[in-house]
Amino acid sequence: MKKKKLQYAFMLFILVAIAQLFVPIQMILGQEKVLNEGEVYKFKTRPIDPSDPYRGKYITLRYDINTANTKDTLWERKEEVYVYLKKDSLGFAELVEVSKTPLAIDNDYVLAETSWYNRNSKKLNFNLPFNRFYMEETKAKPAEDAFRIAQRDSLPNNTYGLVYIKDGEAVLKDVLINDMSIADYIEE
Amino acid sequence: MNSKLTKELPELVENGVISQDVALKIERYYQSKSNENPNRLFTVFGVLGSVLVGLGIILILAHNWDNFSKVIKTIFAFAPLVIGQVLVGFSLLKKKSATWKEASGTFLFFAVGASMAIVSQIYNIPGNFNSYMLTWIILCSPLIYLLKSHALVLLHIIFTTIYACEYGYAFGSKTPWMYLVLIILIIPYYIKLIQNRSKANITSVINWLLPLSFIIVLGAFITKFDELIFLSYIILFGLFYNLGKGPRFDNLKLRQNGYLVLGSLGTVILLLIASFRWIWKDVLRISSFATTETTLVAVLFITTAFVLTYLFLKKRVNKLNLFHFIFIIMTLLFFVGLTNDITPTIVTNVLLLILGINAIKIGVDKMHFGILNYGLVIITALIFSRFFDTNMSFVIRGLLFVVVGVGFFATNYVMLKKQKSKAQKTLKK
Repeated sequence: MKKKKLQYAFMLFILVAIAQLFVPIQMILGQEKVLNEGEVYKFKTRPIDPSDPYRGKYITLRYDINTANTKDTLWERKEEVYVYLKKDSLGFAELVEVSKTPLAIDNDYVLAETSWYNRNSKKLNFNLPFNRFYMEETKAKPAEDAFRIAQRDSLPNNTYGLVYIKDGEAVLKDVLINDMSIADYIEE
Repeated sequence: MNSKLTKELPELVENGVISQDVALKIERYYQSKSNENPNRLFTVFGVLGSVLVGLGIILILAHNWDNFSKVIKTIFAFAPLVIGQVLVGFSLLKKKSATWKEASGTFLFFAVGASMAIVSQIYNIPGNFNSYMLTWIILCSPLIYLLKSHALVLLHIIFTTIYACEYGYAFGSKTPWMYLVLIILIIPYYIKLIQNRSKANITSVINWLLPLSFIIVLGAFITKFDELIFLSYIILFGLFYNLGKGPRFDNLKLRQNGYLVLGSLGTVILLLIASFRWIWKDVLRISSFATTETTLVAVLFITTAFVLTYLFLKKRVNKLNLFHFIFIIMTLLFFVGLTNDITPTIVTNVLLLILGINAIKIGVDKMHFGILNYGLVIITALIFSRFFDTNMSFVIRGLLFVVVGVGFFATNYVMLKKQKSKAQKTLKK
């Protein structure tokens, strides 16, 4: 009898263990799928440097695409918003339109979070979800500095995030300064 | 303590206070007890070690090793998780001691969090901190029951509280309903502890941790209607006080009964705040009631009333002890306060005075110096608060303080004498 109870307990534990493994594996598979099958966009951006106690140092990216004109005036903070995009000739992302509900158009979209709505200018401010890029502890701060220097030179739009998008899911693969991965750029 | 007792045993036997037989039994009892002790110490160190190693691994991986490929990073993400699972599986299958179960369970707890964190690091998932915490807590909650682990219960309560604060108090917050679900998950475990091991250390710790968690989180449930926060806390403290007087808790020592202490202290502190008129002026400004939050307070009130009724049926309510009923009186006052701010202010002051006298009386009846002086402190605090908002002359204020000070001495002295004479009487018998 006791042995049976132990068996049940152990079987239950195996289930729990599988669930514990399943969650991170699921995360990986989802991301890999977007990286393999998704459309790639370049998002012009600016980095700043905070850190996260659990997951280490990262740079936060503030994208140039962060506001949209919209006729809809009923926006709450921290609401989901569909942001529809298209690509220009150089592969940079451009905003098509924003909406509370999915639209019947062919463009790719990402789910962003509203931050606030300006009633006067009728502009909605939102945050794109892929605004965090993890870097080695020692590199996050230099990355921020490197960006500031790169920004000063005459070339326009030289910092961007490389983002893969598929069915509303977005994965930030890399951040590039002058077409060079930010991690390599710092080492030079 | 026990060594002192066992040392005195020969003397007691010599003087014929106890028989040789009894002395032997006492000695054996303490021996068996001390055999358990080093084990418990091991468990504590095992758990602490696991916490440190677990957190250490998280920190090391947070360095974000650039040079490793994605595959190696992924292996690192899963290594602690798999090791933790193997350890837990091993201690389950081989029926290892509590030390093994507690330590391996704690390690696995942190490994689960670490693996998710590293994966989101590898793929730059910004991740919502709340859903991350929620997944983490839920994935580990079955371990509490599988391993019967005390450490995991404590971690569960602490992390659930952090989750609820992050969810409920942060900017643009929402009501953390999942908090209630997560707390309900551990209730069966807690009830079993109360029934079987009501005086164990772990039960006492939860007796404090759980009400503290509720006190911290309650405010997060009231997001839009701040005036209700005050009322809801008064009712919550009333609930704690009445629970603390319940059949399973009343026979505990004060330091084991977090409900009673927190309920009583919380009630007094809130009443002291409410004895100022400005708080009632805020209540006066209420024009309408938001629905969800009012319902929540109503549910809280009904629960507390239910507990009080139960205590009545079990004849555990001392009708002269006002602490039991404060939540009802204050709720009524709250509604009076909607139209009038002077009556509630006066009534609150009177209530505090009665509570102080009440506590003094309980202290005298129980011969408990702590409770006696608690009552005196309540009255002192009441007088002290009135100093801020009345225009009494300094002479009268000074006299009042002298009177209360003398009261402190007198009551303590009278009780000390009473205690001595009682002790003498029992000796004479």
